[in-house]
Amino acid sequence: MADNDDDLVLSELPDDELVEQMHADLYDGLKDEVVEGTNILLERGWGADRVLAEALVEGMRIVGIDFRDGILFVPEVLLAANAMKAGMTILRPLLAETGAPPIGKMVIGTVKGDIHDIGKNLVGMMMEGAGFEVVDIGINNPVENYLAALEEHKPDILGMSALLTTTMPYMKVVIDAMVEQGLRDDYVVLVGGAPLNEEFGKAIGADAYCRDAAVAVETAKSFMYRRHNMRGGMAAQQ
Amino acid sequence: MTEPTVVPGEEEKSTRRRGRPGGGREGRQAVRSQVKAYPPYITRRIRPVEILDEAGLALIERNADTVLAEIGIEFRDDPEVLDIWRQAGASVEGQRVRFEPGMLREIIQKSAPAQFTQHARNPARNVEIGGDHTVFAPAYGSPFVRDLEKGRRYATIEDFRNFVMLAYQSPYLHHSGGTVCEPVDLPVNKRHLEMVYSHMRYSDKPFMGSVTAPERAEDTVAMARILFGEEFLDRHCCILNLINANSPLVFDGTMLGALKVYARANQGCIVSPFILAGAMSPVTVAGTLTQILAEALAGIALTQLLRPGAPVVFGSFAAAVSMQSGAPTFGTPEPSQVLYGAAQLARRLGVPFRSGGGLCGAKIPDAQAAYESANTLQTTLLAGVNFALHAAGWLEGGLVMSYEKFAMDVDQLGKLQKFAAGVDLSETAQALDALREVGPGSHFLGCGHTLANFENAFYRSTIADNNSFEQWEAEGALDAAQRANAQWKKQLAAYQMPELDPGIDEALQAFVAEKKASMPDAFV
Repeated sequence: MADNDDDLVLSELPDDELVEQMHADLYDGLKDEVVEGTNILLERGWGADRVLAEALVEGMRIVGIDFRDGILFVPEVLLAANAMKAGMTILRPLLAETGAPPIGKMVIGTVKGDIHDIGKNLVGMMMEGAGFEVVDIGINNPVENYLAALEEHKPDILGMSALLTTTMPYMKVVIDAMVEQGLRDDYVVLVGGAPLNEEFGKAIGADAYCRDAAVAVETAKSFMYRRHNMRGGMAAQQ
Repeated sequence: MTEPTVVPGEEEKSTRRRGRPGGGREGRQAVRSQVKAYPPYITRRIRPVEILDEAGLALIERNADTVLAEIGIEFRDDPEVLDIWRQAGASVEGQRVRFEPGMLREIIQKSAPAQFTQHARNPARNVEIGGDHTVFAPAYGSPFVRDLEKGRRYATIEDFRNFVMLAYQSPYLHHSGGTVCEPVDLPVNKRHLEMVYSHMRYSDKPFMGSVTAPERAEDTVAMARILFGEEFLDRHCCILNLINANSPLVFDGTMLGALKVYARANQGCIVSPFILAGAMSPVTVAGTLTQILAEALAGIALTQLLRPGAPVVFGSFAAAVSMQSGAPTFGTPEPSQVLYGAAQLARRLGVPFRSGGGLCGAKIPDAQAAYESANTLQTTLLAGVNFALHAAGWLEGGLVMSYEKFAMDVDQLGKLQKFAAGVDLSETAQALDALREVGPGSHFLGCGHTLANFENAFYRSTIADNNSFEQWEAEGALDAAQRANAQWKKQLAAYQMPELDPGIDEALQAFVAEKKASMPDAFV
């Protein structure tokens, strides 16, 4: 194996093989190698949006499939997501410059009274792994924190989590406050946590309940796709 | 493992992509699809649970001696055995044999091995019977089989082969068993030939012989001579055999006939009092243990008189009958106490112990089946059982061998195997580096220690569904039996027959054919 390591020089690979190698490196959670590959493609004149789509997003799509099929395990997916995030850190400013539509931005936090955050952290990491920009506002958040974060970070998505039946009603308090201030329709609201279900999500006025981190990513992606289409449509009408 | 196919002109590319240690998706998928090596038997690293103290054990032993001296044991329809007892100094009146206190224990302790190896045709699958070891074998003797599609029906030789194949593929069944189900479609006098051949051909794990008639035991030994070689068989235990006492206090001619054949051939006998307490033994735990010990001592000692040093196992099958209906019951507290107590008595005697399994009275693989089986299986392991027959597939008090229950039980056996390994206290297992890396708050899911150790950290159930409600519902809201159904079918479809020397196979088939031709079919 060690001999083969020496043989492998990313910068010597033609584009198609480099992209395939980046998929493998993402799969293996090799952060430095993914960063190196990202830089090489940019140096070769690839647009940031193309690097993102063909190397990183496609790589993570494969990771997602194997996670779903039980071949990859949670710690491995976190490692892959971390490598993806490192690549994204390079691409994000470039994407902003070109005005390409971002994959999406999310503010995420656990609601007031609830100090559980492992589930929320997992969702955050998986979202980053899918290319989203994630602002984590932590645990035990009152309404004001959510509103301030929306104001400051202008995300596409607000994610709220709760692990207790005693704290999950607070999600409705936050959504009601958003409605009151006329902000509700500006954001996609995703909720999650063990005691929730589909019905609860609907009842409190969220856009969707996400049962696990993988579903959260899929749901977020599909909402972003709809938003892009909607915005595109509106732009065309103007 | 299949070799990776190399497309001409793509060699270089594929080499490069596998250039890193992880190997990307191909590398991981290859690693994850590998069948892991598994130990051929369990070595327990946890002390057995003991529920009787020294005084209690001594009391039971004294009472068993009293039973053997006062009441005695009947050895029916076998004058030769009565002669053997007479020569050994026992008092024989008619078919009743009485023993001086301590006599049987002395015979046994002089020559019976505390532990022995049962050889498999694949030496990597040899099992150790005795000591800190536990061997799991499938259920034994069911006339019926059951699966979700076809329901409850008489077993056939096809079912028999299926269960041999399933046991062969199951990493947590160490043994192919014996009459994994009764092939009712075959003539009574020829069944054993096909059963023994199936174990020999479709599996390479150790197996059990026929005990339903002395000549069938002889056939089993003859076939084992073909498989293992005559000299090897005489010096090594290659067949294990279930010899039941006809409780209370009787050994019948059939069982004695088989016992004599196997003991003389230096093959293993499991001398098992078969007890449904309340009917075949007193209703109390202490009374039942006394009877079990008396019967086991008599049967075990007989094997040593026939051939000193012959491998032998103290067996106990103990359930209780419902005093309301007379029906046998399983997974209940009192037989568990009997099991723990009998295991202690066997250890004091100094011979291996057989008992337990996944016993239940349920008709289908439902909650009753799961609770009762889990109770008995836990007890089996914690009591320190060395050979656990009936460990997979058992339903309806042993009347039914269930395909789904089989898959469910094997999963439980996997859990027990992991549990039995004890607590790892190595430096890695102490995980101080993980605690240092993560610190307060945060989580361990991505830390270095987790990444290095997660894969084998927790037993992964093959049956349980731990997904979210929504995902479970989206996947058809299957219950455990339905998931087990898919699993055994997949396993059977993937079965690959182990290699067997063609010359040996031909000789075995010739033996079977000749035997079959030598007598008309008999259905009695």
